[in-house]
Amino acid sequence: MIPIWYAVVSFMLIAYVVLDGRNFGAGMLHWLVAKTPEERRQVIAAIGPLWSWHEVWLVGFGGILVAVFPRLMASAFSGYYLALFLILWGLILRGISIEVGGHINDRQWQGFWDFVFVCSNLLLATLFGAAAGNLARGVPLDAQGNFSMPFFTDFTVHGQVGLLDWYTISVAVFTVVLLAAHGATYLTLKTEGPVHDRSRQYMRYLWAAVVPLLLLISFESWVVRPDLPARAAANPVWWLGVLVVLGSAITVFSGLSARREMRAFIGSNFLLAGLLAAGGAALYPVMLHSTLAPENSLTAQAVAASPRALALASMWWPVAFMLAIAYFVFISRRYVGKVSVQRDSQGFY
Amino acid sequence: MNVTLSDPAFWSRFQFGFTLTYHYLFPQLTMGLAWFLVYWKWRALRTGDEKYNDAVRFWAKIFGLNFAVGVVTGIPMEFQFGTNWAGFSRYAGGVIGQTLAMESMFAFFLESAFIGALIWGEKRLGPRYHFLAAVAVALGSWISGFFILVTNAFMQHPVGHRVEANGSLSIDSLGSYLLNPWALVQFTHNQVAALVTGSFVVAAMGAFYTLRWRHPVQARLYLRAGTAVGLIASVLVAVPTGDQQAKMVGNHQPVTLAAMEGRFVGGPMAGVAVIGQPNVAARRLDNPIEVPGALSFLAYGTFKSYVHGLQEYPETTWPDNIELLYYSFHLMITLGTLFILLMAYAGLQNWRGRLESSTGLLWVLMLAFPFPYIANTLGWMTAELGRQPWLVYGLFRTNQGHSTVVSSGDTIFTLLGFIGLYFVLGLLFLYLVGREIGHGPDDDVRVNPGDLQVGRAVPVRETVGTL
Repeated sequence: MIPIWYAVVSFMLIAYVVLDGRNFGAGMLHWLVAKTPEERRQVIAAIGPLWSWHEVWLVGFGGILVAVFPRLMASAFSGYYLALFLILWGLILRGISIEVGGHINDRQWQGFWDFVFVCSNLLLATLFGAAAGNLARGVPLDAQGNFSMPFFTDFTVHGQVGLLDWYTISVAVFTVVLLAAHGATYLTLKTEGPVHDRSRQYMRYLWAAVVPLLLLISFESWVVRPDLPARAAANPVWWLGVLVVLGSAITVFSGLSARREMRAFIGSNFLLAGLLAAGGAALYPVMLHSTLAPENSLTAQAVAASPRALALASMWWPVAFMLAIAYFVFISRRYVGKVSVQRDSQGFY
Repeated sequence: MNVTLSDPAFWSRFQFGFTLTYHYLFPQLTMGLAWFLVYWKWRALRTGDEKYNDAVRFWAKIFGLNFAVGVVTGIPMEFQFGTNWAGFSRYAGGVIGQTLAMESMFAFFLESAFIGALIWGEKRLGPRYHFLAAVAVALGSWISGFFILVTNAFMQHPVGHRVEANGSLSIDSLGSYLLNPWALVQFTHNQVAALVTGSFVVAAMGAFYTLRWRHPVQARLYLRAGTAVGLIASVLVAVPTGDQQAKMVGNHQPVTLAAMEGRFVGGPMAGVAVIGQPNVAARRLDNPIEVPGALSFLAYGTFKSYVHGLQEYPETTWPDNIELLYYSFHLMITLGTLFILLMAYAGLQNWRGRLESSTGLLWVLMLAFPFPYIANTLGWMTAELGRQPWLVYGLFRTNQGHSTVVSSGDTIFTLLGFIGLYFVLGLLFLYLVGREIGHGPDDDVRVNPGDLQVGRAVPVRETVGTL
């Protein structure tokens, strides 16, 4: 039961990163690919109708986390206190910038909200990257399963670590580049004209940068957590994740050279998913690693809700999930094809 | 004051209370307004009358702004269970996690999948799917209300759980947890209260445009719909739902009922205080004007029923702010009574055909819309202050639930951040909604100056061909 729920919780998080990652990426590239107010409306229209649908997967992840791993939620969320509130404020500003920017047809108004949009997406991509780095590196968990971290300590990865150190910063940089590549691929698919052409240019550069950075991050992870490779190699899901990453990398690059935008975008989604799945599989069964003492680490077993709670959740969760897939199919069919500012914007005046 | 400044539990309560009260200003409107959109969209499909679509397009913009602020202020609520209330999550997460997860999976997914379609997608979807999107959003918002009220009802009246070996709670029966009688009563009470807010806002908009002689067709639509739903909802919020809620408190939290009424000494023929100030230090209600026997009758069905007083219970189980609880409850009741009177009078004037010409009434309707927000907030203050000093009633105290690793300074910092951010968010929201109201519905209808008799304004659409 517990490995399945670990997979479900990971899946929700992966779905969130894949879906909202395109918005972070498009948001970070907003100024680079769209120069005029009209072009910038095109980027917003590519995101606008669906941002809350993408963000809801994070809420779904939080909800299912409390239900099946309540003690992990308690330890991790209270330990990451200030970082989480920065993420929450970033999400508030990002959502608001999309919603209100389009309400008034005025250059200065939209310019300001475009600025908020770019900054909040950059902040969110960086923080989520640093959070991923923290999950891999571990946090200073004590024997009671509590921790509390400053933003940074001495930038080393052992003992009393902070949110940011050389490793988590490099994961954050990698995340920013990866999500920007993902977003550029999405914009190439969804837009036309100059925005499309610039997105295509950036997509090529960014994907070219992802490959060496990925190798570097893998090497760094091995240095920071020498115990991980053996555990990863013993887990078939990790091998599956690696295969998906390799396959989707080939798909992305063949999509790039053949100018098949849909193929590149599908590859990009699977690459993100495979990467995160491999990461989740490498960490399992530890959900929160302790940098102070390995025995303080929180395993999935230790933080899970009672077997009865898991059994009850597995009765309703599949139903809810099938419904979510049905909505997803409906939405994808409605929003297939290029966006049009005229058709996909709220009426402003 | 030093005690509270360094007390993390107090600041976590304050932050949760502040962010939740602010957040709930938005969903209470969307939960009420959603059914107006469904109704108008349905009328547009049935009659083909474009005025209904004009109404939906106009209100969808206001709905969208509310929804956006509701979403972004709602996410911090879920996260605070972990950030600030780690003790509570460890203790009760095995129970309340079920409904928090169900809320996101069943309600938020439905809402957020179709909100974009409702607000941005009319041109992409066509009328039928656009109607379905309105239904989906309305259903989603009410399902969300249900699951969060089940969560709250568990904190008020825990059922369906069992205690694990490590002392924490775990779900035992999902059926009895979801069908908690407290949840069913609280859900109906809360949802009709949201309809009160929605209908008062719709009626206020109608009154505003009528008084300005603008958008006469739309204004009439809003006024009629707002006052009709407003009357029904205002009555239902009092009887039977409010009455049932009070009985629920009387049966399961008698000490809370005593505090809500400022009743220190128990006895039969208990009265309802119309006026009076609880004096906790002297253990009495000062300057009371009471309706004798009314509380006995309302809470337990007969005038002679015994109603407990606070002094029958140890002070450690008293709600920790009796005065605030008492005034919240009483002010809510007062406002609820005034809502019924106002909407009944509006209904009478409508029946006499004088609704649009009663300038005084229109002014009152226009200015009345903030009060349902206040009444809803007071209702929640009654529920949550009344639950104190417990986080899970009778089982787990509020001061056991906060995160021990989060200092009061951390929480004060984030609280100040929320206050600042939400202030700006509020200004932005009011500015944009005000702008939409100033622009008004795009109904291509202007008042013909020759027809400027109140209530008889003729839309230009009907006469424009002859001009």
